[in-house]
Amino acid sequence: MTDKIPVTVLTGYLGAGKTTLLNRILTEDHGKRYAVIVNEFGEIGIDNDLVVGADEDVFEMNNGCVCCTVRGDLIRIIAGLMKRQKPGARAFDAIIVETTGLADPGPVAQTFFVDEDVKAKTQLDSVTALVDAKHVMARLDDSKEAREQVAFADRIILNKTDLVSEAELVAVEARLRKLNPLAPITRAERANIPLDQVLGLGGFDLGRILDINPEFANPAHGEPGHVHDEHCGHDHHDHDHAHHDHDHAHDHPHGTPSSGARGHAHEDDIKGISLSLDRPMDGTKFTAWLDRLLGEQGQNILRAKGIIDVSGEDRRLVFQAVHMILEGDLQREWGPNERRWSRAVFIGRELDEAALKAGFEACAA
Amino acid sequence: MRASSFDAQITAIVFDTDGAIFALGDGSVRFEGGEFSAAHDGAILCAVAHPSGNGVITGGDDGRLIWHRRNDAGVLATSVQRQWIDAVDASAESGLIAFSAGKTLTVLDAKDAGFRRDFQHERTVSGVAFEPKGRRIATSTYGGAALWFARIAEQKPTFLKWAGSHTAVTFSPDGAFVVTAMQDSQLHGWRLKDQKNMRMGGYPSKVRAFSFLSNGQLLATSGAQGAVLWPFVGANGPMGREATEIGFDEGSLVALVASQPKQGVLAAGLNDGRVWLADPAGQGLNFLKAERGAAITALAMSADATRVAWADEDGNAGVSTL
Repeated sequence: MTDKIPVTVLTGYLGAGKTTLLNRILTEDHGKRYAVIVNEFGEIGIDNDLVVGADEDVFEMNNGCVCCTVRGDLIRIIAGLMKRQKPGARAFDAIIVETTGLADPGPVAQTFFVDEDVKAKTQLDSVTALVDAKHVMARLDDSKEAREQVAFADRIILNKTDLVSEAELVAVEARLRKLNPLAPITRAERANIPLDQVLGLGGFDLGRILDINPEFANPAHGEPGHVHDEHCGHDHHDHDHAHHDHDHAHDHPHGTPSSGARGHAHEDDIKGISLSLDRPMDGTKFTAWLDRLLGEQGQNILRAKGIIDVSGEDRRLVFQAVHMILEGDLQREWGPNERRWSRAVFIGRELDEAALKAGFEACAA
Repeated sequence: MRASSFDAQITAIVFDTDGAIFALGDGSVRFEGGEFSAAHDGAILCAVAHPSGNGVITGGDDGRLIWHRRNDAGVLATSVQRQWIDAVDASAESGLIAFSAGKTLTVLDAKDAGFRRDFQHERTVSGVAFEPKGRRIATSTYGGAALWFARIAEQKPTFLKWAGSHTAVTFSPDGAFVVTAMQDSQLHGWRLKDQKNMRMGGYPSKVRAFSFLSNGQLLATSGAQGAVLWPFVGANGPMGREATEIGFDEGSLVALVASQPKQGVLAAGLNDGRVWLADPAGQGLNFLKAERGAAITALAMSADATRVAWADEDGNAGVSTL
């Protein structure tokens, strides 16, 4: 048996810089063999034998799981690519899936957990969202898909940073951070990000959920509750600018916060909620709570990750979820000098933060 | 048994009148007698015996449909925009060839190089099958199966609806039923005269292969710990009847099955590398390959059921004469 081929999903709206990045991945002298699955409606301009056109064909499964949608074209294309595989060798070092700005990343990711053939041959490595610093604020306001792509990502590449001021960048980063407290944000110009920050991230690998970094569970600069610790990197930013001026949002008709990107509460409909607890948790209670939560609200929960300190257990319980698809495992032992605490992040639509917090804390042993 | 080993994956095996033909993931075709044809630029995704009984037709990810004979090969057609050719079928009865690429079904005539029909679907086509007389074609797609008349240029297909993704299609040998395999580990069938639906489920895994045998009285499928047999006797087919399972082995799954509609034996290839032959009316399994190894990825039976060819994931292949 050969190793599973890692798959990286690249999301982002038209003009964010995906084609520039894909061309770099295909042409840079890295000695690797990549297959790239591009969307047929996207920016054409990549010419390579290993580029395959996809039609973003979303299939509903009949398995009773209401949010179980998969990308049928990916199942077909990956099966076809695997036919090039030679005995004992991987056909490709990695597969990269580009999506359009209108694509929902959920079905793309779910394909890699639901389809048995795809699961047997490949492993979803990470979802990277490319956003363009100049236009991302407007896109986040007017496009549900743009917000979902940011919220879903394992890494966010903030591209075209040379086209805006530092103050604008800080404001953009603060908003991205609220949508997605888990994903590191990397600044780039002309998609000049090192490839090892896009490929091989292990975003869905339970073994690598080691570092739900306090930075990411920390509200952004200028937000209530922000803790100024060693992670916030004061020397890079002037955090006065984090008080982003929301004036333009006042043009929106006032409604419930969920009716648009940002209603009068100046909040996106999607946000990341960070939970933590310093007391050990009852493993059975926690698992039951998580199962029920994903069962009831899985459609609205895009991503979740956590590390749990289970009472009477020396190992860390780690989990990650995509909508209703949950993976969890007991991982390595807590270190002798390690702070034993539980933390989890849920990213989703219309989540009730107070209820989540109460439910989480009620799992205490 | 004759065994050989290839340095590329065997994606399909076909018997023509002269023997076994292996289609490979490197785009080449290897005949049992050692002849070789390298015509595709990329992987072969599907293959079927030519209607004449001589050689194999292959569809590739280079968008070409190629007819390979032991001493010759030629391109029969290319797909629109060089899309991958995902499925192919041919009818010895009508001499027609049908293949799918993306949302397009294309029909060719083996005896008339100028004949070509292109039929569009709303969603990508996953499977293509001729009815036994070779005049109609069924395609599987998301949401059901479409039925086309092979030669008519302008037509609306009959669409057999059933929610979900259908990944392969076949006709019963009497032409009365169409059966599809589905993404969610089940089969679906329609009785054509009244479009009555038949759900055939209970599989632990996706059904990758199905094949009729015993004059169409049985449909054998993969996807379970044994080979599953659905009875197709009388006007109701399997409706209201139970499937049976032969060769049940808790430790393995049947990955592929192969049979011939007019013959009474069934071959099965397992995910642990074993291959067996059985007579559903008789007792026991005859292991053609008893040693375990990489999963069986291609399996075929000759028209007279005297020979079975298999290949595994590691590029090993064999042909057994019974």
